[in-house]
Amino acid sequence: MAKNKNKDLEYTGKREKYGVGQFILTVCLLIYTFICALPIILVFISAFSDEMSITQYGYSYFPKAWSLNGMNAVLRYGKQLYQSYMNTIVITLVGTGVGLLVMSMFAFVLTRHDFMLRKFLSVFMLIPMLFQGGQLSAYLIFTGTYHLKDNLLVLILPIMVSTMNIIILRTYIQTSVPEELMDSARIDGAGEFRTFFQITFPLMKPALAAVGFMMATMYWNDWQNALMFMDTASKKPLQLLLINIQKSIEMLVNARNIPSSALAAMQGSIPQATATMSTVIIVIGPIMVAYPFFQKYFIKGLTVGSVKG
Amino acid sequence: MKQLLKNTAKHWPYFLMALPVVIILFLFAYVPMAGLIMAFKKLDYQVGIWKSPFCGFDNFKFLFASKDILINMTKNTLMYYVIFTAIGTFLNIVVAISFDQLILKKLAKVMQSIVIIPVFISYAAVQFIVFAYLNTNTGMINEVFNLSTRWYSTPSAWPVILTIVKMWNSVGYGSVLYMSVLAGVDTQLYEAAKIDGANKWKQIWHVSLPSLIPMISVMLLLSVGSMMHSDTGLFYQVTRNTGTLYPTTRVVDSYVLNMILHTSEPGFTAAASLLQSVIGTVMILFANHVVRKIEPDNALF
Repeated sequence: MAKNKNKDLEYTGKREKYGVGQFILTVCLLIYTFICALPIILVFISAFSDEMSITQYGYSYFPKAWSLNGMNAVLRYGKQLYQSYMNTIVITLVGTGVGLLVMSMFAFVLTRHDFMLRKFLSVFMLIPMLFQGGQLSAYLIFTGTYHLKDNLLVLILPIMVSTMNIIILRTYIQTSVPEELMDSARIDGAGEFRTFFQITFPLMKPALAAVGFMMATMYWNDWQNALMFMDTASKKPLQLLLINIQKSIEMLVNARNIPSSALAAMQGSIPQATATMSTVIIVIGPIMVAYPFFQKYFIKGLTVGSVKG
Repeated sequence: MKQLLKNTAKHWPYFLMALPVVIILFLFAYVPMAGLIMAFKKLDYQVGIWKSPFCGFDNFKFLFASKDILINMTKNTLMYYVIFTAIGTFLNIVVAISFDQLILKKLAKVMQSIVIIPVFISYAAVQFIVFAYLNTNTGMINEVFNLSTRWYSTPSAWPVILTIVKMWNSVGYGSVLYMSVLAGVDTQLYEAAKIDGANKWKQIWHVSLPSLIPMISVMLLLSVGSMMHSDTGLFYQVTRNTGTLYPTTRVVDSYVLNMILHTSEPGFTAAASLLQSVIGTVMILFANHVVRKIEPDNALF
């Protein structure tokens, strides 16, 4: 259906003339887009500016001098950075992967009309959307009762299941996975698990891509749980490293494994502002690179999600 | 009951499939709900929620006794909710309609991908960008306009600053939702309006806007439930958790986070958490009820 509508849209588009109104609209939107992009451009420019030009003349889109010192400082001494990167990658991959699997199974079960517990399950899923225990209660229980402080699991499990995402997946199964296909699989003797894993799950790809990207971004960007639950340096994810960055950069620079020649080359001055911005690039880079590949699914997924079911 | 058990036994694979989510929700959503009982306990971090002794309504007395903080953070939370929702919804719609009206579809797509990017940048990173613009000595704003304003100690400026940051962050993403609705509007409606002599503005007013109303009401309804919750990152990270800014930037969530990180008044925080949860739930039920009365199709449940 969506395809059809897009066609309609292009069709009318061709008929209209590109007049003064359209020109003004284009200019306004270009300006708006440019303003949105400005802060991101600033990150890139200041990461590659010379530290001195920032301390003397301030952050600028037109720095007096360019330099790679900031990036080098972060990349060369980044054992902590490497570790944090690994932590974030593990959290993101495991959380998104397992989350998609368990939520898809749950969503699949919600579409089975002959299953009587279905009603109970959908209420059970909806309540957490309306009523939450809050940060303090969660904090006390996860650390006190479950003893999950400083455990990567506490960054993965609590935000893994979201009602909204289950609704999106359920709506997708209802609207886009033909019931007949699943029925015929059953008639051919496939069990429920086989039907799900061989028929339903593969057919859910577009919805999985959309939800998966949203989940991955959420995991990648989660700083709050990390701030509350993580103490050990080796378990800190990227966002927490970013939060502690002033300290982190000193830690990176003062780490034991720095060759003295490198220190001499830096002449004792730590490129703080530029190194900070370089770290920001390293932290936000992967998402910005991944986004265009998911964009198509992402917007489609949002549209599906907006259909209430 | 017997029938239910039989049915479940017959469909045991379904039961197994649903189980992981049930367990996760139980452990990480339902148990913390039960933990709200701490609002009626004298919290002792050493022994945890369950073993702390009950103290009746003492925490609430305490909460209402130290009204200043309570009033300040509730006021801020609600103020930002109203500002963000009003301006945000307005901008989402304006941007969505603008992109929808643009006939250069390729260009629209490229611009759309750019304006959506900010939402994928965590506030932990955003704070450094804001700092680059606003810090006193090397900040770009002071440099360009030749000011020497100490932004991080000027509370009155922050409602505006935070609104700008929030809009930069969320409008691109928010407008996509509305755009997807507009893309689905039957083009015949526009044709019919044209034949009736409606110009572009009239077409937008009479065709585009009405088609967005169900979406607007769903989004508003969903937002009402989280009225007492704020985008913690915005208030905690972007302000760099600066004490001088608290009068205009302290919201319930950032307060609770601060309390967790630098523990001091658990009873107060516990009571505030319970209020926050209860008010949120009551508000969404109430709003849903109102919407159901006016336009049953737009209600959430």
